[in-house]
Amino acid sequence: MAQSMMATDASFTSSEERSIQLRNVTKQFGEVTALNDINIDFAPQKINVLLGLSGSGKSTLLRHINGLHKPTSGEVVTLGTEVHRAGARKLRMLRREVGMIFQHFHLVESMSVLENVCTGKLGSLGGPRLGLFMYPKEVKEQAMEQLARVGLADKAFNRADALSGGQMQRVAIARALIQEPKVLLADEPVAALDPVSSATVMNLIGKIAKEDNLTVVCSLHQVELALEFSDRIIGLRGGELVMDRDASTLSLKEAHEIYSAVAVVTDEEIEQQVPELAGITTEQQS
Amino acid sequence: MATLTPEAPEAPRSTSGRHPVPPRPAPHPHVVATWAIFIGLLAMCVWSAYDLGINPVTIFERLANGVDFLSRLVPPEFPEPGRLIELTLTTLAIVFLATLFSVVTSVPIAIFAAVNTTTGMVSRQTARIIMIFCRAAPDLVFAIILIRVFGPANGALIGIIAMGLSSIGMVGKLLADNIEDVNRGPSEAIQAAGGARWQWIHSTVIPQILPQIIAHGLHRMDINLRNSVLLGFVGVPGIGAALSTAMNTRQWQLVMGLAIIITVLCIFMELLSGAIRTQLMGRDGSGRRRGILGVIDRIAHNNWVTAPTETHQVQRTRNGAVRTSPQWDAGRIQRFFGWLVLIGLVVAAVWDIQINWQVLTNTVTNFPEVVSRFFPPDGRGLYWDRFFPALVETVQIGFASLLLGLFIALPIGAMAARNVAPTPGIAKFFRIVIVVCRAFPELVLAIILVVILGFNATAGVLALAFGSIGLLSKLVADSLEESDTRVQDAVRASGANRLQTFFAATVRQTAPATIAHILYQLDVNIRAATLLGVLGLGIGFDLLEASTRNRYDILSLIILNILAVVVVLELISMYVRKVVR
Ligand SMILES: Nc1ncnc2c1ncn2[C@@H]1O[C@H](COP(=O)(O)OP(=O)(O)OP(=O)(O)O)[C@@H](O)[C@H]1O
Ligand SMILES: [Mg+2]
Repeated sequence: MAQSMMATDASFTSSEERSIQLRNVTKQFGEVTALNDINIDFAPQKINVLLGLSGSGKSTLLRHINGLHKPTSGEVVTLGTEVHRAGARKLRMLRREVGMIFQHFHLVESMSVLENVCTGKLGSLGGPRLGLFMYPKEVKEQAMEQLARVGLADKAFNRADALSGGQMQRVAIARALIQEPKVLLADEPVAALDPVSSATVMNLIGKIAKEDNLTVVCSLHQVELALEFSDRIIGLRGGELVMDRDASTLSLKEAHEIYSAVAVVTDEEIEQQVPELAGITTEQQS
Repeated sequence: MATLTPEAPEAPRSTSGRHPVPPRPAPHPHVVATWAIFIGLLAMCVWSAYDLGINPVTIFERLANGVDFLSRLVPPEFPEPGRLIELTLTTLAIVFLATLFSVVTSVPIAIFAAVNTTTGMVSRQTARIIMIFCRAAPDLVFAIILIRVFGPANGALIGIIAMGLSSIGMVGKLLADNIEDVNRGPSEAIQAAGGARWQWIHSTVIPQILPQIIAHGLHRMDINLRNSVLLGFVGVPGIGAALSTAMNTRQWQLVMGLAIIITVLCIFMELLSGAIRTQLMGRDGSGRRRGILGVIDRIAHNNWVTAPTETHQVQRTRNGAVRTSPQWDAGRIQRFFGWLVLIGLVVAAVWDIQINWQVLTNTVTNFPEVVSRFFPPDGRGLYWDRFFPALVETVQIGFASLLLGLFIALPIGAMAARNVAPTPGIAKFFRIVIVVCRAFPELVLAIILVVILGFNATAGVLALAFGSIGLLSKLVADSLEESDTRVQDAVRASGANRLQTFFAATVRQTAPATIAHILYQLDVNIRAATLLGVLGLGIGFDLLEASTRNRYDILSLIILNILAVVVVLELISMYVRKVVR
C-alpha cells in the first residue's frame, strides 16, 4: 500500500518515465460502473494489450486516455497532460499526439483513401477542409507516404468503401500515423476481420510501434494474438483490473488458463447483462 | 362469439363463470380527442363543400356549359422566340439561384438543428424555430413582404430570397434528419485526432450527406419552378409575370401558350433531375459507372490513366513528384466539370437577373422604416365584413378540395399499389396516371378551370382536388405497398375475399400513415388555397390588393391571420400524428 502511494508520487513528478497514468479512475454511466477504481501506468514504447469480455470496460479505459471520456472520479495523466481537468483546447493539443484506431475503422466511406488519411492531420491544421484540394501539399505527400508504409499506396485515390476490411483498418492506421503520435490507442482493431487480415493488421501495428517508438494500448479478444504481439497483458473484468502480467513470462497454456478464469461468466453477471438468458444456463446445467 | 370459445385469448381465465368478464377499459383520452378531431375535420369538409355550393351534379353541369369557353384558349399563342427565351432564362435563373440559396442556408441551419452536431440547446431550438417559421409562411407571403421592403425594381432578387427562405423549412428539416442518421464513427475518429467541431463536421458529416443535399436540392428545384410561376403575380419577373399580365388583360390564347411552356419546363426539369441523379449515383452491380461517365472512364483507363500497382511505393506523376491529386479519370472529370458548370451557372444566372444594386442599397438603409410601417396591424374596419369571410372561404376551399380529392385520390392510390390492384397491369396504369398528374402544374390547371368556370370557388376546389391526386395517391400507394404482406396472406388464407382482405388487413395497417398523409394534404391544400388569391379568390386576393395599394397595416393583419391558420393546422396534425401510430 505504502509502496503504491510512493509510486504514485514518483509518477507524477517524472512523466517521461510513464507516458500514461491512471489513478483511482472510476467511471459511472448512470447505474452502470464501467470502471471501478483502476490504477495503472503504461510505460513508454511498450505494447500493452487489454483482455476482457464484452462489457468489461476495455473501450471505456482506452477512451479515458485521450479524454473521449472523463472519469467520474480519479485522475488520468497522458503525456504530461492532466486529462481529467483539461479543457477543450488542451484536449485537442493532447489528442494530436495520441492516435486512435477503432473496431469498425470509422473511415468516411464516400471519401478517397488519401483524403481520409489527410483528415488525421486536421488537429494540427487550422480551419475546416472540404475536399482534398484544401489540404496543403506537404500534408498530402505525408499521407501518401503513410499509405506506402501500410502498403496501400496503389489505393490512394480509390473510395474508401471500395476496400476490404483489412485494408480499411490499414488506412485507419495510416490516418493515425500521419499525426506523428507518441501513443497509439487501438480498440479491438481486428475484431471485425478474418484471421489472415487480423494477422496482417497486428503485424503492421507491431512493426510500426517498433519503428516509431510508440506506446501502444490495444484491446483484444484473442489470447494468441495478445501473447504474440504484446509486452504486457492486462485483464479486465466488470470494470476491475484482475490480471497484469509481463507477456514474456507467460506461456500460451498459462495465458489461456488465466484468460478463461477471467472470462468465465458467472450466472450473476449474465443476470445483470441479459436477464432472459440467466434461467437458460441454469436449466442446462441442472 | 369469441368470448365463448375457451381458446380465444380474450376469454376470461375463470371457467366457473362466477367472475364476470372484465369491462372494456375506457378509451384513452387522447384516442377520444383524436376521433373528435377527425369527426370535426370531416364535418368541416362536408360543411365547406355544402356552403361553397359544391356538388358533383352542378360541377358536371357547369363544366359542360363551360367547355365552350375552352375555344377561347385555342389556338395557343406564344410570345415571339426572343422574348420567350428571355422569359424562360429569367425563370430558370431565379429558380436555380433560389434553390442554391436555400440549400446553402439550410445546411448550417440543419447542422445547428441536428442533435449530434449542434452546439447546444439554445442554438438547436433557435434553428428549429427558424425552420418551423420558414415552413409556415408560404413563399408568396415572403415575396409580398420583401417586395414592400426592397421595392419592385428587384423582383428577381425578391423571388430568390422568398423561395429560398420558404425552402429552408423543408430542406433544413430533411437535412437535419439525414445528419442525425449519419455514421458517427468517423466524426469520433477526427475528434480523437484532435479535430475541432467545425473540422469534423466538414470532413465527416458533410461528405456523408452530400448525396442527400443534392437530392433535396434537385427535388426543391422542381417545387420552386412551380412556385415561381405564382410569384410572377406579385412582380417576380419571368414566365409567371408574363402569365399574370396575359391573365389580367384576358389574352386567353397567350395564357394557354404560356401554360403549355410552363408544363413543358416542369417535365423537362423532372427529366433533368432524374438524369442528374442517375449520373451522380448510378453504378452497376460491379461498381462500374453507368452512362456517359462510364464511357469516359473506359476511354480514360485505356489511354491517359495508368492503374497504380506498387503498394509500398508512393504514387508519382510523370515528372517524378509525389502524386497528390487523382489522375484525370471519370470521377475527376465529373467533379471538375460539375464544379465548372455550377460556377458557370451561378455567374450566368446572377448576370441574367440583373440586380439593381443602387435601389438595393437605398432600400436596405430604410429597411427599419419600412418594417415599422407594417405595425400595428389594422383592418381599417373591414376585418369582419371582408377579410374574415375571405379567410373562411379560403379555408373552406382547402377543406372541400380535400374531400373531393380524397374521393378521387384514395381509389387511384389503392389501384396503383401492386399488392392491392387486381392485376399488375392496372397498377402500372394508375402509376402512370399519378406521374402525369404530378408533372402537370396545379396553377395551369387552376387557370384553365378559371377560364371554364369563371373566378369562383368551384374552380379553385376542382384545381386543388386534382392537385391532390399527384401527391396523395402516390403517398397512399407507396404506404400500401410497404405494408406487411404477411398479414394480408394470413387474412386471405382464412378465406376472406379480396375486398375483405383489403379492409381487414391492408387498410388497418396503413391507416396511421394514410392519416398522416391526409393531414399533410389538408395543410398543402389550405396553403395552396391562399395562393389561389392570385386568381382572385379568398384571402389571397385581399393580400395582393393590400400589397399593390401599399396598405401595410392591412397586409400584416392578413399575414398574421394566414400564419395563425397554418400554425393551428400544424399543431393539430402534430398532435394527431403523435397519437395515431
Ligand atoms: N456511453 C455509454 N453510456 C452508457 N453506458 C456505457 C457507455 N459506454 C459503455 N457503457 C457501459 O459500460 C460498460 C463497459 O463498456 P465498454 O464498452 O468499456 O466494454 P468493452 O470491454 O469495450 O466491451 P466490448 O468488448 O463489447 O467492446 C458496459 O456495461 C457498457 O454497457
Ligand atoms: Mg469495446
